[in-house]
Amino acid sequence: MQAATRPMTIAGRRIPTLREMGAWLVSEVHRTPRGLKIWYALLGVFLAVGGVAALISVPPGWEVMGTSPKFEWGLLIVAYVFFAIITSGLCLSASLGTVFGLERFLPFEKRHAVLALISLITAFLVIALELHYPIRMVFGAMLTPAPTSPMWWMGVFYGTYLVVLIIEVWTLFTNHPVIHKYACTSCAIVAVFAPTTLGAVFGVLAAKPFWYGIFTPIQMVCTALTAGLAILGIVFWAVDRFRLANHGTAKPIAMPSIRLLMAIALVIVSALLIRQMVDALASPQPGMREAAIALISGPLAIQFWGVRVVIGLVVPALLLAMPMTRTPWGLLGTSVTMLVGVFMDRLNFVEAGQIYPRTTQAGTVSYPYAAYTPSPVELGILLFALAFFALAYTLAERYLKMGEGDSHIFWPWPWIKPHHDHEHDGEDDHDHKADGAQVDPLKRLASATPAQEVAL
Amino acid sequence: MTEKLNPADAEPTPTPVVAQPDAVEPAAEAPEAAEAAAVVPADAEPMPAPAMAPADAVLVPLEQLAPAIAAASVSRRAFLGFGLAVAGGVVGAGVLAQYFPVFASAGDEVAPIVPNYNPATKAWTFVVDSASCIGCGLCVVACKEENHVPEPAEYARTWIERHVTTTDGQLYIDSPEAGINGFPKDSTAPGAAGKAVKSSYFQPRLCMQCAEPPCVGVCPVSATYQTEDGIVLVDARRCIGCGYCVTSCPYGARYLTPAGEDTPSDTPGVADKCTWCYHRINKGQKPACVEICPVKSRQFGDANDPADPIAAIVKATNPAPFHPEWGTKPRVLYLGPALEEA
Repeated sequence: MQAATRPMTIAGRRIPTLREMGAWLVSEVHRTPRGLKIWYALLGVFLAVGGVAALISVPPGWEVMGTSPKFEWGLLIVAYVFFAIITSGLCLSASLGTVFGLERFLPFEKRHAVLALISLITAFLVIALELHYPIRMVFGAMLTPAPTSPMWWMGVFYGTYLVVLIIEVWTLFTNHPVIHKYACTSCAIVAVFAPTTLGAVFGVLAAKPFWYGIFTPIQMVCTALTAGLAILGIVFWAVDRFRLANHGTAKPIAMPSIRLLMAIALVIVSALLIRQMVDALASPQPGMREAAIALISGPLAIQFWGVRVVIGLVVPALLLAMPMTRTPWGLLGTSVTMLVGVFMDRLNFVEAGQIYPRTTQAGTVSYPYAAYTPSPVELGILLFALAFFALAYTLAERYLKMGEGDSHIFWPWPWIKPHHDHEHDGEDDHDHKADGAQVDPLKRLASATPAQEVAL
Repeated sequence: MTEKLNPADAEPTPTPVVAQPDAVEPAAEAPEAAEAAAVVPADAEPMPAPAMAPADAVLVPLEQLAPAIAAASVSRRAFLGFGLAVAGGVVGAGVLAQYFPVFASAGDEVAPIVPNYNPATKAWTFVVDSASCIGCGLCVVACKEENHVPEPAEYARTWIERHVTTTDGQLYIDSPEAGINGFPKDSTAPGAAGKAVKSSYFQPRLCMQCAEPPCVGVCPVSATYQTEDGIVLVDARRCIGCGYCVTSCPYGARYLTPAGEDTPSDTPGVADKCTWCYHRINKGQKPACVEICPVKSRQFGDANDPADPIAAIVKATNPAPFHPEWGTKPRVLYLGPALEEA
């Protein structure tokens, strides 16, 4: 392998030649385990099928969606909201480690950030396919800003979010601790603002009483946290099951913590759901009570009781509570059911809001309920988005170094001294320099004060 | 704390060089080992992560390390510089735009569509009498013809509803094909068949041209706007087709246009709505639906014009807006049973 000329380098790293890249690709294919190949093939099929659906949906005005003037927002809005809140949820739970100093999650910091970025890109993909003119949106939002529109603010915050997330991921992999620090804190802040404005998109619509109100943004943030935790649960299971980087800390440290956080999130989300239903049933506003009845005993009853309540809340709560399911597989079950519950919650929310129009919609009377069935194209785009998300994460896990994330601990409020500051004073700044010299998170945990232990 | 080194300044400290002596020994197995290390084997033995790190250090010989560090610090500077450049560019563009207006802004005065038309002097008033409407559907036909509204019944800028109250006190609303073909004898609403009718009336519907339109407030790109004379219009070339205005309208007056021959604009998939035939009224004509109504149940005019009878009609009949409690200040005024029911 003696090269005749001096090889090209970037920042000290040699750029491989085309031939080397080809050879690497061939050897990589040989080296890929069989199970992984099957997984890639499956995702490839999903992407192909979904890709066709996505292409069909591109020309504006083709009536390929199940939506209509009486039911204008459908599955793609649900999918967009779902991936957008996963992003925020991941950042909220990631900030536990980076912003609030909970050290248990630090070994998984890179996964949080990479997943959040992938999920946000997926969300943007879905919304670009949902909108008829996404490019107009980019220019229109910048050239003719509309500060009265929550959707414009949502664009501002999620746009900012994308930039900040890219910076965060870049700094995680290139060792820029100072920029990383600011990126992380900005991310945690935007992670609250973004789903709040997303909730406000629905919450300001007085025409849809079920969506209207102050609780919609709150609910959006709480379901965001739930979704983020569920994704992390799946990732922790994968880390443990496939012995990925930092798998040593997944089972003893991360899993008990995430189980506790999941339990808290389930309680909050259940309380909010009960409040929402009671409030709607007691409301004198036309459209509000009918929406709740549609969920409880109407056309949405199966997806409400069966999927949202039983699969989304009761089953994960049982899996968390029972000692025999406090295993990685139990965590996987909890996470998957919680995630299904969150998705169904978003679907129920969007459907119930439109199912009982106050008046005739553009000449169509919907009685007793407006009907909406997702079209194959919409389902295909959802499949595409899920497969894209899974494939991007699989590739990231395989080819990026995910396991050196515990060196970026910092305290963002210098005027308040953290408990462990005296123990790690000066140490933190050196950790990231010693490339690879990882401090055992168990040791770090041992040095945490009893108060922090309780908090965990 | 002040003595603590700024991590950014500490970058060129010889920390990576310390790792160099460790890296000398395995240097022989250079590229292959490095490539292998770049991959996280899914089925590898449990192995602590630090074990992979020295193999990584092999990639970077000592003489290349200094430029690498320099490149790393430059990239941060470049990053900040890039950020400043972008910020400066945005500010500069903003300042320049003040002097050289390239793009029209929402605050700009809209050039009159028709010369000699002064919207500020107009007080357009629309009165609908639900008592006299016979449900013939000619207004729907005229609207579709005049405004190229898509053929299918689920796209309608204006439509007619029939409200039927049966003897058991139930209210049934139907609007077959948006009323374009008139109405059959019996209500088509589910459950209404066979029931004895106590009372019924027809209610023509259209955009209320609200004084405080929610659709204008929610548009993320300011594609929908209110003219000076109070008409809410859509700029089809700016609309992104998100459907937010459709969901925001409590009166159901909007829809997204489908692709096809018969669409109101050259770009399909955008929001569309009743404009009170703005292209006609600013030339002194009446809206198409008003023009064609055989029983004069739709009345339209300029209340500021002494020669126009609309002011006298309003004064004599005292019509009222439909569902003013929805808070959008609707401007279509109704007469007859539609008001009593609301």
